[in-house]
Amino acid sequence: MDENVIKVENLVKYFDGRCVLDGINFDVPQGCIYGLLGRNGAGKTTIIRILLGLEPATRGETSLLGRKSTRLPAKIRGQIGCVAEGHNLIQNYKVSRLIKLCKDLSRQWNGESFDHLMETFRLPRDRRVRDLSMGMRAQLNLALAMAIDPELLILDDPTLGLDTVARRQFLELAIDIIQQQGRTILFCSHILSDVERIAERIGILAAGKLVVDCSLEELKTRVKKLRIIFPESPPDDLYLTEIINRQIQGREMAITVANWNRQKQAILETFKPSSCTEVPMSLEDIFIECTRPDSEPIEAA
Amino acid sequence: MLTLIKREIRDHVVYFFAAVIFSSILISISLTPIFESRRHYRLLSGLGTVITITAIVIFGFFAMGVGQMYTDKNRKISAFLSTLPVSRSRILIARIVTGTLAILTLIVPQVIVTIILLRLYAPPVPVYSGFIAEVFAGIFLTAFACYCIGLQAGWSSSSIVPAMGGFGLTCILVSLILIKGFGLHIIVILILFIIASLIRIRHLFTSTPL
Repeated sequence: MDENVIKVENLVKYFDGRCVLDGINFDVPQGCIYGLLGRNGAGKTTIIRILLGLEPATRGETSLLGRKSTRLPAKIRGQIGCVAEGHNLIQNYKVSRLIKLCKDLSRQWNGESFDHLMETFRLPRDRRVRDLSMGMRAQLNLALAMAIDPELLILDDPTLGLDTVARRQFLELAIDIIQQQGRTILFCSHILSDVERIAERIGILAAGKLVVDCSLEELKTRVKKLRIIFPESPPDDLYLTEIINRQIQGREMAITVANWNRQKQAILETFKPSSCTEVPMSLEDIFIECTRPDSEPIEAA
Repeated sequence: MLTLIKREIRDHVVYFFAAVIFSSILISISLTPIFESRRHYRLLSGLGTVITITAIVIFGFFAMGVGQMYTDKNRKISAFLSTLPVSRSRILIARIVTGTLAILTLIVPQVIVTIILLRLYAPPVPVYSGFIAEVFAGIFLTAFACYCIGLQAGWSSSSIVPAMGGFGLTCILVSLILIKGFGLHIIVILILFIIASLIRIRHLFTSTPL
């Protein structure tokens, strides 16, 4: 099998003539925890739905565990655990009935691990799914996804709608599970702190394009925000490539630039700025810069 | 597959109860003339009732098809099941098997009772030997065809037009049978219609985003 568990090649998706995904490419190698970020409606869920074969792509190809998403056999589906956005469990079923259904349909079922999670989450088995709180539904969904000992775990905004305590509890348990079992995980969210805690590699979606695809550490070192003060008004063009964002206020110019290096620094120095200071950036700052409407994609270093 | 069929039956058990109730009503209608005088008159009167109930039942199977698909779409059942090791084709096959079982729940007791009655109270005139087979095959195929129309209408129930179109098609189908009667030609037409419907349903069900 290919060492890339998830492959997305030139993925294009249109909804009613509107381009939602515009040539997305990324791979997730085995054992990697990939955080897919994007604002609401950026297309994160659409990518996941296409990957799972729930939605057809307009163009391009996606594959999971070496098989095309459009033709995922039951055996491969049995190796994929999925926590969907909004936790689309069968609402009118009792928890016990839903568990039995999943157990009967699954190819492998780790009852011990599942019971442990049910006890940890204190989930009632005799209540209907629709009567559970959003947090409980998220926990039940995670427990069901983990019970099959999945090779690949897809988490689509699993903490959406959870309160702070429930979110923290959910993430801590998810991290425990991830660390114990070393699985490949695709984690989609717009809550950056969640992704920052879990993900090794980051992809940022903006305006239908994947503007960032690199490791979290690399992202933090590659993207720099500089505050430059010029003796007079700033030049119209700095002749620097990969400027993600630029703002001018009086003599001050703030630029966010990717792949900052000595060459770029030398070009900047030719403009003889009065001062140039680096502004520390969190993942949230990088995300905001990258998802601005006029931002440029970050090319590979 | 068995799990999927069991799930479908349990979710739509009301249709099976209805099939059993209608089956009992039809059997009691068939048996009533035997215990009464003016047998032939009653038999004709009973026949009218049977046709009425059969028509109701056939529309019932249309409703079952609509119900199964609409519930699925509304509760996102297939969307959830598709995240488990289950293909959409298997979900659909399980659904159709359940529909077939519901139709058989209604028809099989009728066949048994009719055969017994004909043996016990053979009519004075000779009867075509394939009569029962043709009539019940016709009823089964009609019910199944209506069920298939229901499945299609239920899956595209987001607008009223396909649902009403399906209902209209069911009316045409039932009228055709009431006018032409059961026979080999009707059986062939129904089989062709069912094959076309199943291909269409499979395409709709497997290609629509869940």
